[in-house]
Amino acid sequence: MSGLKIAVCIKPVPSPDQYHRVGIDPRTKTLVREGIPTVINPLDKNALEAALQIREKCGGTVAAISMAPPAAEENLREALAMGADEAYLLSDRAFAGSDTLATSMVLAAAVKKLGPVDLVLTGNESADGGTAQVSAQLGEWLGYPHLMHACGLEVMEDGFIRVDTAREDCRVAYRVKLPAVVSVVRTINKPRFTSLMGVIAAGKKPLSVWTSGDLPVDENFLGLEGSPTKAGDIYQPDLSRRCELLEGSAGEIAGAVLQKLRAAGLQL
Amino acid sequence: MDFSFSKEQELLRKTVREFVEAEVAPMAAKWDEEDHCPVEVFRKMGELGFAGVFVPAEYGGAGLGYTERAIILEEVARHSAGLAMFLMTHQLCVAAILEFGNEDQKKKYLPGLASGKKIGALSVTEPTGGSDLANHQTTGELADGWWVLNGRKCFASNSSNADVTVVTAKTGTDEKGRNVLTAFIVESGNPGLSPGRKESKFGLRVSVMGDLVLNNCKVPPESILGGQGKGQRVALGTISEVGRAGMSAISLGIIRACLEDMVKFAKERNLYGKPISTLQAVQFSIAETRVDYEAARLLTYKALALKDAKQRCDLDFTIAKYFSTEAAVRAAKRNMDNMGGYGVLNDYPAGRYLRDALATLPSAGTSNIMKVIVAANTLG
Amino acid sequence: MDGKNGLWVIVERSANGFRKVALELLSRGRDLAGRLGEVSGSRPGVWAVVTGPGSAPGTEELYRYGADEVLMVCHPLLEEHRTDLHAAVLADLIRERSPGIVLFGATAWGSEVAPTVAARVKTGLAAHCADLRIDGRGLLVQCVPAFGGKVLGEILCPDRRPQMASVRPGVFQAVPGDAPAGEPLVVRPELDDDDRIKVLEVQRREITGKPLEEAEVVIAGGWGVGSRENWQLLEELAGLLGAAVGCTRPALDEGWTEGEHTMIGTSGKTVRPKVYLGFGISGATHHVVGMKDSGLVISVNTNPNAEIFQFSDFKVVADARAVAEALIAELKAGKTS
Repeated sequence: MSGLKIAVCIKPVPSPDQYHRVGIDPRTKTLVREGIPTVINPLDKNALEAALQIREKCGGTVAAISMAPPAAEENLREALAMGADEAYLLSDRAFAGSDTLATSMVLAAAVKKLGPVDLVLTGNESADGGTAQVSAQLGEWLGYPHLMHACGLEVMEDGFIRVDTAREDCRVAYRVKLPAVVSVVRTINKPRFTSLMGVIAAGKKPLSVWTSGDLPVDENFLGLEGSPTKAGDIYQPDLSRRCELLEGSAGEIAGAVLQKLRAAGLQL
Repeated sequence: MDFSFSKEQELLRKTVREFVEAEVAPMAAKWDEEDHCPVEVFRKMGELGFAGVFVPAEYGGAGLGYTERAIILEEVARHSAGLAMFLMTHQLCVAAILEFGNEDQKKKYLPGLASGKKIGALSVTEPTGGSDLANHQTTGELADGWWVLNGRKCFASNSSNADVTVVTAKTGTDEKGRNVLTAFIVESGNPGLSPGRKESKFGLRVSVMGDLVLNNCKVPPESILGGQGKGQRVALGTISEVGRAGMSAISLGIIRACLEDMVKFAKERNLYGKPISTLQAVQFSIAETRVDYEAARLLTYKALALKDAKQRCDLDFTIAKYFSTEAAVRAAKRNMDNMGGYGVLNDYPAGRYLRDALATLPSAGTSNIMKVIVAANTLG
Repeated sequence: MDGKNGLWVIVERSANGFRKVALELLSRGRDLAGRLGEVSGSRPGVWAVVTGPGSAPGTEELYRYGADEVLMVCHPLLEEHRTDLHAAVLADLIRERSPGIVLFGATAWGSEVAPTVAARVKTGLAAHCADLRIDGRGLLVQCVPAFGGKVLGEILCPDRRPQMASVRPGVFQAVPGDAPAGEPLVVRPELDDDDRIKVLEVQRREITGKPLEEAEVVIAGGWGVGSRENWQLLEELAGLLGAAVGCTRPALDEGWTEGEHTMIGTSGKTVRPKVYLGFGISGATHHVVGMKDSGLVISVNTNPNAEIFQFSDFKVVADARAVAEALIAELKAGKTS
């Protein structure tokens, strides 16, 4: 099969290695994430890599899509630098406050507007919210078959792909009819590093901004109003313990540790 | 005056940083300890365009400038100054051929060097010293249509792993009796070229440094770079601008490493029941390092902006190199002080930063040489 | 009884019965239903809803852990890995019977079925809840982690029904009661298949070692363990202590241990052993969330400022290998003496 049109959903998230810096302002009860850079959700890079590998094998185009505030243009440029052909930023104040159902509705509207897309790829979950709900719901809005936990992806005979999925105690291979939505896990590939040539090329690739008015959205599920779930209070759990130092030689420490274990009720 | 990087430069820095954090940071301490030069990582950097960043696309480079090269060196040096030194030395060879080579030489050498398939070096320094070109001992003599080179280079970075080395040799004297130097491109595999002993360095390990022996090394006349008798211009032009720019950028990386580690340690380390970041002595030391970083950064990138605009910049690089390398030593010392006893443990990179910072001082001219140049310019 | 306004727990079947997370949810569901009864005056029934190709044996377990009713949804096409078909019949049933609350275990299966069902019935879904409770208005308050568990946020679904949530295994405890077993209600829905999704092959994986969730002692290793050889020491120590070995993401990335199923944390397992022994673990939030409810926490790290120490009862500032070796020597000496 040749010339697949692939859309990859990209979510900008606060850099996951700095979540220890996330907190809550005790006065305003709002989230504090100041100074943490925004990066492409790590698994979305795996999704993009999977798309690029398919394009390299079968031809076609890769479009990166992101529903995010205007600053996400930077992350989409990054996706273009990594190798995507075109990018679409879905940005509108009306999208603010969207839960997964509302977010997937907007993403679905963008995929529909892109025209006949063969394959939609996403990361299995985002690092920040981590709901792992968007890809399945996107598939439902589009009416496409969808699968999660993909650790392998291969284009089969005309109009089908093979998707290998990782579950707790097994690996399941599926044949899926295109168009389809697939979300990938970390083990599927190792995303490539972006080259300087990619950075230079990214500046010349098309990046379009679409607002609500540009898209065939379902007004009943738009933004905060249209989201079935509502966010309530947020808080920061205090998990700290009084930590006591165990000192001495390795042997003494081992003895002390085993004594604590026995005190905790273990039969050793 | 515009002091901001372009969006493209910011994206470039981000992508380089991602590579360095993934492929360099976890290995840096081990490479340093074993004095191992990871050629395979250099090849990867070549594929990504780092090695030939400032080489035009027609010669297989990324087609960017020296500013972008400095961004790359700073980011690599943030985690491994030694690896950055390897890359920076390679780029001296690239710059010499790009700026002084003829079309044939550029076509022949640049694509391999820019893609990292070939490793480059520039060897000028001899046992008599690097800045004392008048006492050059290496000679080049024309015999039967070939140039025959004889002599020994020392403190030569990439001495044993370079495929392409630009060397200088004395090819005559002028009317005042001064040495006339010529630069030659020598390829590895030449039976007259052999690496001598490899030095054991205490800082900027990872990057190979050693002797290079030229023993009846025959090269064709097409190997002459920049014209016969123009060796001093090739060597000094490359080292004083591209070399000092490189050492400044590497120093920036070291200062940033110190600053980031100081901040992290000061926030995590508790003394008398609170983090040491609440102590004014620690705060001042962090403030001084931040000021050093910002000042070094301004000097370095200002000189680079001039270089990329093809304006005169030799003095600017001299000033930037002097300040940045000395600032790196100060920063590394403060980082150690900040850590107390932990600073001397090899479990932490503090010692490596200090060793690397000290080792930047002599490269591309010592601080005293830099001061001589600045003073001469200032006094007129 | 038709299940209207009921509290449903979707039960995932396993090779030899039901996934334990379903029992955990039934126990929690029993408490939630009780609380709803106090708030609203009428206690909803707790329903265990099982989907599969035929009826499942052993349903008395479901009653024992909290189900008032068991609804068995059978169709030959409902093979385990056809999550799409399971979601389709569940969405139809929910539309038909209007439960008030639907809970899923966030296993690979559940985390795929739940959002599909929610999108079909156009309702809200809260993912990976760390806690579930009923507020004064009788609404389900769903407490979800964000930023790797650094922050918890409350989610409500005030207008649409059912209120849906998924919960990772191990978050709640399965508490058996003494309710008598009843007779499961069996329904056989209409279901069509087409060629859109087809299972090609299933490769089972042999899981060796003690399951993390069942161990009294968990030994967790992180990046600081340093090598595969050192990892073997942790395994040896685990053997001597009768412990299970878990890992962090970096240790998994290094390839020192097999399989994602031993990863502890936000995107892995939640453990609450009597004793947690951490070796070379930095204490990233993602990991801490998965071990915070452990009884005794002892951590070994060379970094005196390692974050994990903030969440530990005892700390050892030393190399993981040295301490593991000393413990092994001590235990062996104890066994022979």
